[in-house]
Amino acid sequence: MENNQTADSEETKSCEYDPNVNQDELIMAQEKQIAEEIKANIAMVGELDDLSSLEREYSNDPVYFSKVATLLPKFSNVRRTRPDGNCFLRGFIFAYLEYCIYHREELTRFKQYLEASKEELFEMGFPKFTTEDFNDMFMEVVTDLEGSGSIDRVEAIINDAGTSDYLVVYLRLLISAHLQKNAEFFSFFIEGGRTVGEFCKQEVEPMYRECDHLHIVALTAALGVGVRVMYLDRGEGSSVVSHDFPEDKDPVIHLLYRPGHYDILYKA
Amino acid sequence: MSTPARRRLMRDFKRLQQDPPAGVSAAPTENNIMIWNAVIFGPHDTPFEDGTFKLTLEFTEEYPNKPPTVKFVSKMFHPNVYADGGICLDILQNRWSPTYDVAAILTSIQSLLDEPNPNSPANSLAAQLYQENRREYEKRVAAIVEQSWLNFQDEDEGEEMKKDT
Repeated sequence: MENNQTADSEETKSCEYDPNVNQDELIMAQEKQIAEEIKANIAMVGELDDLSSLEREYSNDPVYFSKVATLLPKFSNVRRTRPDGNCFLRGFIFAYLEYCIYHREELTRFKQYLEASKEELFEMGFPKFTTEDFNDMFMEVVTDLEGSGSIDRVEAIINDAGTSDYLVVYLRLLISAHLQKNAEFFSFFIEGGRTVGEFCKQEVEPMYRECDHLHIVALTAALGVGVRVMYLDRGEGSSVVSHDFPEDKDPVIHLLYRPGHYDILYKA
Repeated sequence: MSTPARRRLMRDFKRLQQDPPAGVSAAPTENNIMIWNAVIFGPHDTPFEDGTFKLTLEFTEEYPNKPPTVKFVSKMFHPNVYADGGICLDILQNRWSPTYDVAAILTSIQSLLDEPNPNSPANSLAAQLYQENRREYEKRVAAIVEQSWLNFQDEDEGEEMKKDT
């Protein structure tokens, strides 16, 4: 390397923080290693598993065990998602596309929504060139499912990293757009003195950022798709609390929330 | 094999050719679309004016979900550029958005040149001089601007020779 800089002597000090070492790269390298381990061991969306597998998971935890027991009559199966910060969106899009292949009219409606959403994003100032790229991929997937729609196909699409991530990105753009369109309302729920725009840049649009309440409210409202979340945590009471997004819509997707993570649930 | 990352990089390249942004240029290396060479021209009316700074961009298959690794190859003197050429810029780290493309990355770096962020110094001397002794800072910048031309000539000659063979 012709330009390898020789460190100026005044900059070389043997302290813990060495300004000549690229700290960002060190941190990013470590984060990458953790992410690689998760990636190697857990599918983006796993196979259909019996709900009793959850009971076994908590056989030594009386609180969770008894709460899982209350889920059993209502739900029969679970699909686990990879905990990479995209779990809600990955779980959502898997369950929604699965619903769509059995409800073709919903698939048609969704396709029309996607087509129209592109122009709306452009108008809101999302970069045309890249936004179009993500929209194209989503349209391809939906068109593919219109033809050969099967659960095997959905499994293949969502577990293909490139395609799956593109769908997740586009959902993030839709959430960001919805939050910004309704900025006045959502600004009351944003912590840390940030504007809605800043929140979207930091917590919504980047990949691997976890979705919380706000993201879910925005996504389900934007798409008009009902989601019921079952909250399995150490909260009071012996049953699992549930919440519907949006509140006035019948849920077509059921997700299991455990602190920091979402999996897909199937009704009995 | 065409992966989403490669497909997207081809589109990025096409767009750079059809609609080139002012003051930056970039192209994939001949043998590997995942590694790009780029040039940023120092913005007018700044100490970096007339500089021709070379950079490399290294993409992974996770692009555009994750940012490329961007480094200055030309010697740089800037509060947010590490000694190894690495760049401390939020959009290349925790504020990366998949909606950024190569053009957006390079124009962001170009504006960083004259708008350093003294809160995250990667070069403490540059950060200190920028805040406390602007004249000395500009002198140092002028030196790397001149150096950027020299590097450029060397490389150009090298590339031309390759083309001849």
